[in-house]
Amino acid sequence: MALSDFQTALGRLVRAPDGRDPFRSLCLDERERSCLERLSQSAGFRFTVDVQRSWCVGRTMNAGTLTLSILSDGVRRPLLEAWTNCGGGTSSFFAAEADALFDFIAARLHDPSHELTVCRFEQATLRASEKAAVFIPPKPIEPDAPGRALRRGPYAGMVLFHGDPGVILDALATGKPLPPVSHEVSPILLSPGLDRLWRPASAIEVGLWNRLSAPSPFPALLREGFPRDAIESMLRAGALEFVDNGLE
Amino acid sequence: MEQAREACLGLPIVVHGVELSIGSAHSWNGAYIDMLDTFQARWPFLWHSEHLGYQTISGENGATLETGVPLPVPATKEAVQIIAERSAVIVKRYGVPFLLENPAYYIADLPSDPEIGDDIGLLGAIMERSGCFQLLDLHNVYCNAINHRQDPLAIVDRVSLNRVMEIHVAGGSSHDGFWMDAHNGSVPEPVWELLEYTLPRARNVSGVVFEMLDEFAPRFGVAAITKELERARNIWNRHKRD
Repeated sequence: MALSDFQTALGRLVRAPDGRDPFRSLCLDERERSCLERLSQSAGFRFTVDVQRSWCVGRTMNAGTLTLSILSDGVRRPLLEAWTNCGGGTSSFFAAEADALFDFIAARLHDPSHELTVCRFEQATLRASEKAAVFIPPKPIEPDAPGRALRRGPYAGMVLFHGDPGVILDALATGKPLPPVSHEVSPILLSPGLDRLWRPASAIEVGLWNRLSAPSPFPALLREGFPRDAIESMLRAGALEFVDNGLE
Repeated sequence: MEQAREACLGLPIVVHGVELSIGSAHSWNGAYIDMLDTFQARWPFLWHSEHLGYQTISGENGATLETGVPLPVPATKEAVQIIAERSAVIVKRYGVPFLLENPAYYIADLPSDPEIGDDIGLLGAIMERSGCFQLLDLHNVYCNAINHRQDPLAIVDRVSLNRVMEIHVAGGSSHDGFWMDAHNGSVPEPVWELLEYTLPRARNVSGVVFEMLDEFAPRFGVAAITKELERARNIWNRHKRD
């Protein structure tokens, strides 16, 4: 049996089952399949799978510490199981997996809820802090910036708190109960070029952020009434960036 | 890294990795090599080590999938060739000794070639061909001896002790009928006995490490950790002071 085929088969068996034949596309004869099937029924194999699951859960807890810690056990446990069952938690490289984990969790949380806000806040903080050490603010925009388009910065985020962010974050830090979800929304901008990585966002900045769900030419934004200084401020913070290929 | 250097007060450093996946026929972990390159450039190490195992497999369309836990490598000639070649590359790349650690494993009866035999034969053949050395983890020896009903002294006797440069001791715990390499507490008495047995026979050992996962350290406590370190040092001084 080729080493590669054996390792792939054993690795697939140890990783969470995905409903497919673990021996697909591998060159294994009947005797080799029997050998692997026998291994997979052994107590040592089952224990290895238990160790693997516990490592994957541990990595996942480390990757989404804040968000997972505020979920009730009844929500957290099935989330962790679903995440590890689809192969999550196998990567030891924290940042590579954390971003996908937050998307996975966010898709399963009620909207609006403080839990969803915290999930997006932790994700945006992680993105911004990952870039902060090497972030260099861009040069000032040229007067007409011809043909250049703007988009959201990939390391930035706009998070909507349903209530006073200070009260909500203080409750998280001190273990107090979270306040009720409010209809009043407080937007927070997170970006690698900001002092402490975050600040409250203005209504104009929220509008710009929403407008740039797809890239847009800079002159078009000006024509639509977005102030130049607001655009420049978000660019300097890394909340927006130019796309190299222009749209106009 | 600067904080760590400061804490080490200029003492020499050695590096121990768990992510290289040196035994994977699919590929080893290039990102780990990049990280090691950076580390050596900023803080040169005396030697470095890695576990003999694999964590990466081939995914769909040639992508790499991680297994999530190190898996044991079958003791075959193909495995020897792949790992010995990679070890030789690493020895040349970093210019310092490279050590492979004998792993603890729970799956028995992996395929093997009779010329290689088992995990001890696999490590011996790799060292012979590549010029690398061994990190002998005595707690792993203890785990395998319990879990696979072997004699731990007989395992140590089969190791190429003249190529052992570093020894690890650690604690573990029992789960579901297996002794687990958990790094969660004090070193079992039989492992201390293995250290007493091995140290005078392994002439090139340059250090003994007590391993503990950081999550268990606060509960275990400074005093208990100090006690384990003192015991390791006493054994060292008795056998290696000269």
